Amino acid sequence: MGRIKKKGVAGQAKNFITRTQAVKKLQISLPDFRKLCIWKGIYPREPRNKKKASKSSSASTTFYYTKDIQYLLHEPLLQKFREQKTLEKKISKALGRGDAHDASRLERNASRPEKTGKTKYTLDHVIRERYPTFVDALRDLDDCLSMLFLFANLPSTPTVPAKIIAKCERLCLEFEHYLIVSNSLRKSFLSIKGIYYQATIQGQDILWLVPYRFNQRVTGDVDFRIMGTFVEFYQTLLGFVNFRLYTSVGLVYPPKFDAIKDDQGAELGAFSLEGNSVGAIQQPKQITNGKNAAPNPRLQAEIDKLISQLNNGEKEDKDMTNAPTGEDEEEATETMDKFEPAAPGGDILPQPSYSATDPSTLFSNFTFFLSRETPRQPIEFILRAFGCKRIGWDAVLGEGAYTHNELDPSITHQVVDRPPIQVDPDTEEAGDNQTAQKLQRGARVPGRIYIQPQWIWDCVNDEELKRPDLFAPGAQLPPHLSPFVKKVRGQYDPSAPLNEQEREDEELEVETDDELEADEDDDEELAVQKPTSIVDEEVDTTAAGMDVAGSEDDDEESDAAPESFGGFSEAEEESEDETTSAALRRQRELEAELTGVQLEEKVIDPRTKAKADAKNKAAKKAKEEDEENERAKMMMSRKKRKIYEKMAYSNKKKDAEAEGLRHKRRKLEKSGKAAPRE
Amino acid sequence: MAPTTHQRKRKAVTRDVDVPEISNVESEAEFGDALLEGILSQSEDSDDDSGEEEEEDSDDENDEEDGLEALDSDEIPTDGDSDAGKSNGKATTANGANAIVEKIIGEQQLVEDDDKPNYTITTDANGGERYVYEEINPVYDSDDSDAPITTNTIGDIPLSFYDSYPHIGYDINGKKIMRPAKGEALDALLDSIDVPKGWTGLTDPTTGKPLNLSQDELEILRRIQTNELPEDGYDQYPATVEYFTGIEEIMPLSAAPEPKRRFLPSKHEAKRIMKIVRAIREGRILPYRPPEEQKEEDEEVHYDIWQDEVPRPDHIMNIPAPKMPPPGYDMSYNPPPEYLPTKAEKQAWESTDVEDREKEYLPTAYDALRKVPAYDKFINERFERSLDLYLAPRVRKNRLNIDPASLLPKLPRPEELKPFPTVCSTLFRGHEGRVRSLAIDPSGVWLASGGDDGTVRVWELLTGRQIWSAKIGDEEAVNAVRWRPGKDAVIIAAATGEDVYLLAPPVVDPETDAASRAILDHGFGHATNAAPSLTAHGAKKEPVAKWTRPGTRLEDEGVLIKITLRTTVKVISWHRCGDFFSTVSPTAQRTAVAIHTLSKHLTQIPFRRLPGIPQTVQFHPSRPLFFVATQRTIRSYDLQKQELVKIIQPGARWISSFDIHPGGDNLIVGSYDRRLLWHDLDLSTRPYKTMRFHSKAIRAVKYHKGGFPLFADASDDGSLQIFHGKVVSDMMENATIVPVKVLKGHKVKSALGVMDIDWHPREPWCVSAGADGTCRLWM
Repeated sequence: MGRIKKKGVAGQAKNFITRTQAVKKLQISLPDFRKLCIWKGIYPREPRNKKKASKSSSASTTFYYTKDIQYLLHEPLLQKFREQKTLEKKISKALGRGDAHDASRLERNASRPEKTGKTKYTLDHVIRERYPTFVDALRDLDDCLSMLFLFANLPSTPTVPAKIIAKCERLCLEFEHYLIVSNSLRKSFLSIKGIYYQATIQGQDILWLVPYRFNQRVTGDVDFRIMGTFVEFYQTLLGFVNFRLYTSVGLVYPPKFDAIKDDQGAELGAFSLEGNSVGAIQQPKQITNGKNAAPNPRLQAEIDKLISQLNNGEKEDKDMTNAPTGEDEEEATETMDKFEPAAPGGDILPQPSYSATDPSTLFSNFTFFLSRETPRQPIEFILRAFGCKRIGWDAVLGEGAYTHNELDPSITHQVVDRPPIQVDPDTEEAGDNQTAQKLQRGARVPGRIYIQPQWIWDCVNDEELKRPDLFAPGAQLPPHLSPFVKKVRGQYDPSAPLNEQEREDEELEVETDDELEADEDDDEELAVQKPTSIVDEEVDTTAAGMDVAGSEDDDEESDAAPESFGGFSEAEEESEDETTSAALRRQRELEAELTGVQLEEKVIDPRTKAKADAKNKAAKKAKEEDEENERAKMMMSRKKRKIYEKMAYSNKKKDAEAEGLRHKRRKLEKSGKAAPRE
Repeated sequence: MAPTTHQRKRKAVTRDVDVPEISNVESEAEFGDALLEGILSQSEDSDDDSGEEEEEDSDDENDEEDGLEALDSDEIPTDGDSDAGKSNGKATTANGANAIVEKIIGEQQLVEDDDKPNYTITTDANGGERYVYEEINPVYDSDDSDAPITTNTIGDIPLSFYDSYPHIGYDINGKKIMRPAKGEALDALLDSIDVPKGWTGLTDPTTGKPLNLSQDELEILRRIQTNELPEDGYDQYPATVEYFTGIEEIMPLSAAPEPKRRFLPSKHEAKRIMKIVRAIREGRILPYRPPEEQKEEDEEVHYDIWQDEVPRPDHIMNIPAPKMPPPGYDMSYNPPPEYLPTKAEKQAWESTDVEDREKEYLPTAYDALRKVPAYDKFINERFERSLDLYLAPRVRKNRLNIDPASLLPKLPRPEELKPFPTVCSTLFRGHEGRVRSLAIDPSGVWLASGGDDGTVRVWELLTGRQIWSAKIGDEEAVNAVRWRPGKDAVIIAAATGEDVYLLAPPVVDPETDAASRAILDHGFGHATNAAPSLTAHGAKKEPVAKWTRPGTRLEDEGVLIKITLRTTVKVISWHRCGDFFSTVSPTAQRTAVAIHTLSKHLTQIPFRRLPGIPQTVQFHPSRPLFFVATQRTIRSYDLQKQELVKIIQPGARWISSFDIHPGGDNLIVGSYDRRLLWHDLDLSTRPYKTMRFHSKAIRAVKYHKGGFPLFADASDDGSLQIFHGKVVSDMMENATIVPVKVLKGHKVKSALGVMDIDWHPREPWCVSAGADGTCRLWM
């Protein structure tokens, strides 16, 4: 017999520490502990056995890893927290004495730490610890960016001072500038929550969400102290990340910030980037110096092409799609080859996604003009990130535009987000008389493509220029699809045609289902009556002759035990049913002969028959599959069976969801509300 | 003594004005008069004090009489002195209480001496009457001042006697002592008497008069009590009267001229100023500048923090925070129409609790970007995410990202597993009571069955026609029926009670019949020839079994040999060569398992002792092994070496039956605790597969011996289950067991369903014996 083991000195009892114990050990207040946890990235753990981990009898809820807490003990920030606490005590004591002068002196000293020989805390070392490599930091940038972009859009309140908001905004804009320069923005998505962006930096996909530019609704249950702690950390992180990113592309960080321009709402334009050795990177100059200068010939050619494309409609479009494939074949050596399994069964290897078009050239040849109702910031950012150099907008939208003049002839695309106005011809004529700078309401500048904002997003996500006529102002927009959904076989894909993804005979089944649903109310009584009569006749036949088989059937039906395995009985029953129904028909014929009444042939609609057949077939198949699964499951161990059942449940749920969507779409297509997609 | 006399005198005087005083007691003014009168009379008294002694005496006397009168005639009946004093005191003053007490004592004395006056009346100088009192002899008794004042004047009579009377007894004079006033009456009296204004109940120590307070004095007292200034109209804080005013006097107080220093700048000061000026010029003193607050903002310095980055593997316990899931199609501002919720879905979403919702948003479509509103839960969601990041415990969960179908074992298609019995093709009816056992003969033509009715019947298998029957058990059921293996003869072994019969049913051609009879008869003589074994005592040992002829009646029917054992035989099992068969009679302890040799009519007991009750036995199909199943284990013995080879432990509670695969390496075991167990003898002593598909006990299990990979079990729930069990010769591969069919048809009678099962020797058919008295052929 070995030594009796002491309780609570090894294993889980030692590895885990409750929050109260941790706070006691660190000798700080709970808010300070929270701050420390947020900054150092320490999170609670779930011990495998809670009872073993907690020393007390009462159930503790939060456990930390003991080594995490031990490691906090040496944290320099902890010392800072304590110093802060003593200072606060001193100030409150001075105030209690009524010595306001002393209190203010103490506070002044705290705000000028270099004078008193003490330094203010920084989070630099924490960032270095948490992210030993730059890639680690990039990997964790999702939440950072989402949070900072949110704070950049918040109104300033006592809990969120304007200084923090301004800093967040600056950091975000700096980051956007990097994305523009490096062309690393990949995808974007207009959702009901906000705009999602995805960038790929050094092979890391970063996805973040930016709210729409509205005043955010702040509810009482949001604790801005916690958010503030996160923001403080994220600001430091993004500062360092920006520094690294800027220096990696040969730019000086921080970029020069023009406060006056920023006050005028220039946003991205308020920054001027500087190269490490060279001066500021040249912003694109206006290529035309007014209306008399001829537009860029290349640009003009592009526009002409687009216009002709517009005029010719679909035919052209098809040609367009065909043409590049021809080119691809010629330049096959340059592009990356796509590996697709020729025969089923092989593993599919992950392959670097290649794009035919370089993201930096997607919009590079165009000049955009944003109408005043469009959201300028996201559009400007996206256009710039995809190579557009010349973006003009209405003066209302702020400073920093390429041009504020809507009639600028160099403009190729105008982004409009308002319904077209039917203009009275009279007023139009009147408008013609006036040689005004401003355009008449609803009038259009010829030789320019008018599009809705979604066109930009769809172009970016598909990495190709979409047909602009589908996105013309006032047109019914095609659905905007999320580019982040990975296509999984078996899952519903709204972009693919319906008949490709549905199961065999699904349509027929569902239709019959629908009809049944519709008919149910009417036919209920009939449906009840029919089977009973059949049963009666069945009994008659059995009484007549075949004693063995008949009794057999009855027994089988009555003795069906739930836990017994199915065997293949069902299939046979099916066949027996068929035979019985055949026998029934024969019986009826005989009776008819006896009575001399002509047996009226049932007129069966071939379509309904097909439907019924399809349904029967599907039901039969499902039944067979079920049996097969049941038999197979019987041979599994209990543990495996549990896992299998769980997986089967979740798969079934997903399938049901997909089927529901398909069903809805089928209905919509039938009713003509939505055109079938190809 | 002076004050008392004063009082008395005053009293006397006041008595004169008594009537008006009482009548006018309400009016304050008159009371004031009375008071004044009193004072006046007092002063008169003091004036007359010197010369009026007699008058004083007479006054005394009057007074005394008056007191008596008051006692008698007063409406208020007085009992004790205190009461009287009180009443009197109330009427006059409290100060007079002492005097009254004395007075009443005097009264009493007076009353006692009423009959014999203790004085003599003489004439004084003025000719008036003068009372000359006798000298009081101060004997001890005379002074009764020490004696206790008797308070009880009514004697030792309970008061209750006088309950109905107004008086409570009689005094010493026989006068009624009236009931003293109590509670209400007193209150009434007190109410009727009003306390004069300003009455304090105190005596002025200087004048000795009752101290009454005036209205003003009372007011002062009230002010002192309430912490106010006692004097009315007193200003505690009067405006200061300034001695010196700020107004410059026209005439100066001093006429001295202004000193010179007032007009000349100070040289010393100039020096000091110059010093500062010099310091400022030299830059030693800087002008004050308010502290800048803008400076700290620029403090944040960025540098390449990852300059010397070294990749560090993540700690094994570190779990990075999971990323937020990317948005799906339904989150689009303009989703495909099929993602939009129907009315019912919308309602369901709205009616569910916020926490129970699967999605926190409802897909909505906007036809233009400008119409998209702000997402109202944006901050909340971000906040929730922050909370999750630092508050939520992180657990690594392995998700199997595989097709669940890959978990399913690969089972062959049912079509591939055919043939196996699926339907009942023949029903054998005829037995009364249960059919306990049945067997198909090695040629596969006949079926033999034995049941509770004690008969053994032989049927034509395909038609279900009964060919032959013999009643071998009179009262006892036929427990086991087994054909002898081998096609050279047709012999059935049947067990009923303690007897085992060997039958040769006359169903075949006469040659085979003769051959069978010859085989059975061949043994006669062997047993008798053999020397009878003797016990230790020399007595002839009782043989284990007796081989006899059953009698002519049975012999005519075809029952040729009867073997009588000691206890009931339940199981018969033939050796493959057809010369040996073994029987089991579980109730016998020592002789439970017996092996019989047909050719020698010999019975042997192989086991002297067995651990547990033997259930069933089997010969190995190819090797000289013998398997004995006890309740929990199956033991295999080598018959040649006569030793135990292996103990198989199926883990069942009570083994009902078992069967050995024709290959010889596998075993199926059925148990009463509903389990069917497959053993691979090479693999382990524990079961390879355990199947629990029956709801009741399993009675019998059987392998198909004719080349089909099938086995079946029969259960009390009335069903047979057919399994496909393929055994491959490859040692590395395990047997595949697939359940293929449930055969139902037998009715459950008194909790028994199917009793026995047997396979056709060549075809994939099986027969079953039911407790309902039928046998069934399944094909």
